[in-house]
Amino acid sequence: MTNILRLALPFTIWLIGFSAIYALQGLTCSRHWPEELEPRLALIGGAAVFVVIQGLALAALLALQSQSRFVQTAATILGTAALAAALWTVLPVLTITVCG
Amino acid sequence: MTQKPPRRGTALRLHRQLERIWSPDPRFRGWLTTNNNNDVGRLFLAVATLFFVIGGLLAMLIRAQLATPGSAFMGPEAYNQVFTMHGTVMMFLFAIPFFEALAVLLLPGMLGTRDLAFPRLGVYGLWVYIFGGSAVIVAMLMGLSPDGGWFMYPPLSSAAFSPGIGADVWLLGITSIEVSAIATAVEIVVTVLRYRAAGMSLSRMPIFAWYILVVAVMILTAFPPMILGSLLLETERALGWPFFQVENGGDPLLWQHLFWLFGHPEVYIIFLPAAGMIATILPVMARTTLLGYGWVVAAAVSLAVLSFGLWVHHMFTTGIPHLGLAFFSAASTLVAVPTSIMIFSWIGTLWKGRVQMKLPMLWLLGFFATFVIGGLTGVMLAIVPFNWQVHDTHFVVAHLHYVLIGGYVFPMIAAVYYFQPLLTGRFHYFRLGAVAFWLVVPAFHITFLAVHVVGLLGQRRRTWTYDEGQGWELLNLIASTASFVMAIGFALVILDIGITTFSGLRGKRNPWGATTLEWAAPMPSPAYGFASIPIVRGRYPLTDDPDLPQRIARGEGYLADTSRNRREALIVTTTTGKPLQVAVMPGNSALPILLAVVTSTSFLAPLVQAYWLSALALVGVVIVALVWVWTTAPRQSEGLVDAGHGARLPVAAESPDPPGWWGSLFLLVADGVHFGSLMFGYAFLWTVAPNWPPPSYLVPTLLPVLLALGGAAALAAGPRLAARAVATGHRTALALVLSLFGALSLATAAASVMLARQDPAGHAYDAALWLLAGHVGFHAALAVIMLGYLALRRISGHGLRVGEARIVSLWADFTAATGLVALAAAWLPGTFA
Repeated sequence: MTNILRLALPFTIWLIGFSAIYALQGLTCSRHWPEELEPRLALIGGAAVFVVIQGLALAALLALQSQSRFVQTAATILGTAALAAALWTVLPVLTITVCG
Repeated sequence: MTQKPPRRGTALRLHRQLERIWSPDPRFRGWLTTNNNNDVGRLFLAVATLFFVIGGLLAMLIRAQLATPGSAFMGPEAYNQVFTMHGTVMMFLFAIPFFEALAVLLLPGMLGTRDLAFPRLGVYGLWVYIFGGSAVIVAMLMGLSPDGGWFMYPPLSSAAFSPGIGADVWLLGITSIEVSAIATAVEIVVTVLRYRAAGMSLSRMPIFAWYILVVAVMILTAFPPMILGSLLLETERALGWPFFQVENGGDPLLWQHLFWLFGHPEVYIIFLPAAGMIATILPVMARTTLLGYGWVVAAAVSLAVLSFGLWVHHMFTTGIPHLGLAFFSAASTLVAVPTSIMIFSWIGTLWKGRVQMKLPMLWLLGFFATFVIGGLTGVMLAIVPFNWQVHDTHFVVAHLHYVLIGGYVFPMIAAVYYFQPLLTGRFHYFRLGAVAFWLVVPAFHITFLAVHVVGLLGQRRRTWTYDEGQGWELLNLIASTASFVMAIGFALVILDIGITTFSGLRGKRNPWGATTLEWAAPMPSPAYGFASIPIVRGRYPLTDDPDLPQRIARGEGYLADTSRNRREALIVTTTTGKPLQVAVMPGNSALPILLAVVTSTSFLAPLVQAYWLSALALVGVVIVALVWVWTTAPRQSEGLVDAGHGARLPVAAESPDPPGWWGSLFLLVADGVHFGSLMFGYAFLWTVAPNWPPPSYLVPTLLPVLLALGGAAALAAGPRLAARAVATGHRTALALVLSLFGALSLATAAASVMLARQDPAGHAYDAALWLLAGHVGFHAALAVIMLGYLALRRISGHGLRVGEARIVSLWADFTAATGLVALAAAWLPGTFA
């Protein structure tokens, strides 16, 4: 089962991170967001944390080798792809109007 | 396998013994009591095909109406019902059940096991699907169809704008079908992970098993948001709880989020099994092996998860901030990457092989020609400005038909032709299939290319007619004419398959030269599947060992000993496929269909305001479920049993992680996603619904908080202590009482929330609190029933198993954890407001 989780982990982290950034964006534009906090800074901070966690997940997959070579290869592919996906999907944080 | 020379007649003797043990009742009632995957799968397939025919007829009505401008063929009311039912039938009653049927039929053979993990659960899923689907169709025939589109957006689908029971039929009928899909998904996941041939490690699994595993997990995680959405909309319609009414703190956009959290993954839930079929059939047709097996597995996993991050791209025109649009546009374009990996893997496979242009291959070529176009228009729709331009036009209709017919129906037809010899033992001898292909595929392209263009010219979808002089007349006429040709082609396919099934030529085993295990079984497969559980040493067992079918038939694998006179299957370790346990499979029974009857009654009775009947049926569900579990639990301990090859293995039900524990684990995944969706809905309303905050927040008092904390702790600890007591031979009574106290305390804390806010119809906040408290109360009640079952086992002298206590512990942990989170969510805003 650990090996199945190893395969599922990278993109599950991506999905959680991606949803969290979207939720954070919703929050920054909502009535609950304190005016003194700059929304874009919060979003950039959130995105950075997301990318770092995704990178750490990849590092962990590489460091903690599976006994199954197949699982190890597939997990490495997925980990790398998920890191690339994370970088690609948070790019708009840097360029697009936050609440417009 | 064992090297001992076989005795003469061993295979025949073994076949007769296994037939006696595994066969269903040969009389008519056998269809109602069988739980064999061959019977269940065939029935599933037949019913799904019937729904495909109904959905196809509805499509013809749509095209007949749109063939000419200002057509009087149908009025707007009828047209709304027809297009709603077409989408509903095709998506819910055909597409998902059809691939589930193929999975039920084929998976045991592919994995080298004798049946699915929970055969009775499969039967239950089948009958719930049949009852729910029939209710939807009967309502349509009575003119009571839903007419708000297959997406049921409120406020259009609310009681104010959709009076009558049409929308309720949709919400309750479809929810029951989703329950059926979840039941089958649990069965599939546990089967793929645990029930395989000896030695079948993860890297040796057939590629279809990977795809179907991914899809089953997707069903477990995608359907719960939809079930929650249906629950919210139905409570709004029936009880006036205003989840989607802006004036009372609701927000109709919440429905769109919940619907598309399900709806977008749904597209991939439909596509991925077809992709699994392509990856299975294509290498055989090309007489080679799949190029990049590991890459394809990785692509399937990534595509599945990515599909959950795209739901908002169906909502690009709802006024979402530009940054949100950009997020989902970026994520949507990502999908092209894993899809391309699969497409290039298949093209590469064709490239390195020698293609045989047989009928299944023809349909696969139809897939390539169609799906790639559908994928490219999908990338176009992921681009926000273009999406805005073509939103709600026929361009989108054409795109989704390219994806769903090209990406699902064509490969599935290929799969039916490919597996027909295995399932029926017969081969087609007419050229009807090829004629059908040349009718369907060109006609499909003519139809939907015209629909693409008419969409680009601005024709709106879901509109019953159009005026002359807009340049749409000829294109619509062409599309409609070609669509009728396509329908004739599909009818020929069904006719061809029907003729072959009943009167085709009988042929030799493994006619295509396939390399996977299902072709090692006799044709058609007997009820027991394999006479002995095969041992595999590679990804292509029939290539590695051409004599494998004979060896299996002679009983040279595992579990060839029939002296225990019961249905047995092998459970293996997930990663390496090492034999681990012997599973005792249940025999024929009417319990699954009985449970399906009471479940469906509890779902459908509210349609006629028979709430008392619904409640009564719910009690029936509990009683039948308890009888089911009671009669399948072992009565005495057996210790280790001989599995063959010198292996002495424990019986699965006596182990700490019996199949029921695994089934519960994955059912709780679905339950957890349901709970997560509920929390998302609550947070969504709190964050963006226009009429928030509510007039007042709930402020908790100390007693309910203490009850919740103490109850959760007791509920988590009690079953754990009980499991430990069973393992060490100590008394369990105190642990069970502690658990019961925990469940009742949590339920009391939840009741306090309801008592404090007695008008859930007043504001969406109060309705949400009732739902959160209802979640806690429902699960606490479930825990009480489970604890009662354990106590009854103990009192009746049947004895408790560690595995049973661990299953209850799993549910209790979930109840305690989600109960605390739900109650905290109910109390925290009032505490800090």
